[in-house]
Amino acid sequence: MADYRKLWSKLGVDLEKHDQLCAVLPKLYEGTYLTQEDRPAGMNYFNSVLAEIHGSRIEELDEHKKNGGKVVGTFCVFVPDEVILAVKAIGVGLCAGSQFWVEDGEKVLPRNICPLIKAFMGAKVGGTCPYFQSCDMIIGETTCDGKKKAWEVLKNYVPVHVMELPQMKRDKDYDQWIDEIKDFIGKMEELTGNKVTVDSLRKSIKITNLKRRALKRLYDLRKHKPSPISGLDVLLVSQIAFFDDPERFTEKLNELCDELDERVKNEIKDEGKKRIMITGTPMALPNWKLHSIIESLNAQIVVEETCTGTRYFENEVDENGDTLEDLIGNIADRYMKINCACFTPNTGRIDDIIKYAGEYNVDGVIDANLSFCHTYAVEHRAVEKALKEQNIPVMQIETDYSTEDSGQIKTRVEAFLEMI
Amino acid sequence: MDTVRYYILFPNHTEGIKMEELLKKNGLGYTIVPTPREISSCCGISIMYNVKDEGRIKALIDGHGVKTLGLHCVNKKIVNPYL
Repeated sequence: MADYRKLWSKLGVDLEKHDQLCAVLPKLYEGTYLTQEDRPAGMNYFNSVLAEIHGSRIEELDEHKKNGGKVVGTFCVFVPDEVILAVKAIGVGLCAGSQFWVEDGEKVLPRNICPLIKAFMGAKVGGTCPYFQSCDMIIGETTCDGKKKAWEVLKNYVPVHVMELPQMKRDKDYDQWIDEIKDFIGKMEELTGNKVTVDSLRKSIKITNLKRRALKRLYDLRKHKPSPISGLDVLLVSQIAFFDDPERFTEKLNELCDELDERVKNEIKDEGKKRIMITGTPMALPNWKLHSIIESLNAQIVVEETCTGTRYFENEVDENGDTLEDLIGNIADRYMKINCACFTPNTGRIDDIIKYAGEYNVDGVIDANLSFCHTYAVEHRAVEKALKEQNIPVMQIETDYSTEDSGQIKTRVEAFLEMI
Repeated sequence: MDTVRYYILFPNHTEGIKMEELLKKNGLGYTIVPTPREISSCCGISIMYNVKDEGRIKALIDGHGVKTLGLHCVNKKIVNPYL
């Protein structure tokens, strides 16, 4: 329970305001996570990362910076971690999942923009995110209009590099994405003074693939009926994946999976909970709202087709190739397989949802959208139609980070579960 | 309904992890948690333990020279803000 205030102060964190967040987080975690029964012992590692999320990990970043290393912040699964690792920088996801930051975000952004964007902007404007304060550069992308324009505001506070993500998947779009990755490599080399080589890039591809494989292993375990782990716990693991050291994360996640393997062998009592898939927008730390509400009822979330779910780890980057050109092409191929609603058309996402519904043997799908996320909201009708054709029940929930609509959501989910 | 919970607090992360290793090695159940605000305004880890193990835990702390900020008991109402 170290006192990190000196470090936060050095980083320019608004201590008084940040303390309000520190006061809320333990209670929120206790109310949502520590009321669960029979959690795997392996979750203790993830509990500790969460408890130290603004503490020991920030100290690690500080140590890295003292040794001349750089820290890079990202908001999207399209920014290739492999490049960041290859120049010996540390990539971190950024604070974007709490209502706490929304008010400050609304000081510089319109109110009718998604809470994730308002929250990350508020975290920076208010100086209440030690990760943001540790970043030498933020890597943005063009996945939606809100973010695209937010970078223009954010660059008044911190250096920003924006990757232009194609919005279609034609051959020329792949070529454009390859060029964007090359520009990103140039930018990272300039920032860190380290060159990307075939060896360094291949090594970082391997590290990132092992992380993806561990997450896939965790998700595969959830295919057992009943799942040996709650959706809430898996959500925390996925959220921490964006912050933690990738090799340590992989090791600890594999330890958790070893324990879950044993659970599955010993057969867990089936309480007949409904198996639910979440599809839709990402759930940034500490957004545990829907998982907490849904799993308080007779339901278990067994898969998330989201950016804090399958989109983050599905498909590996091919490790074969003799030149940088080969490896960059492999990276581009893997990332262009992500089925994000920023693409038109995006029928691949619907194929994924139908495929996962079968693989995870789900009883129903909840299409969860953050308020004002137009791309995912527009796709809802197509998702609903495809699921209905397969006789898979589906409901949509559009919400933000506030707790005001929690009761209403609970009632709606309750009715949905009774219906399926 | 109020719940009684028991915590070990530490001066730093390293001592907390040292304690965790000892608990694990000795087969004692525990949960790592964010330090409850009721006990301290500092962030970071604490360990929540079963009161039935308190004697053995005290012996481990003394026997291995783990630096702690004491064992604490909190009686509180646990609320899930979403429910």
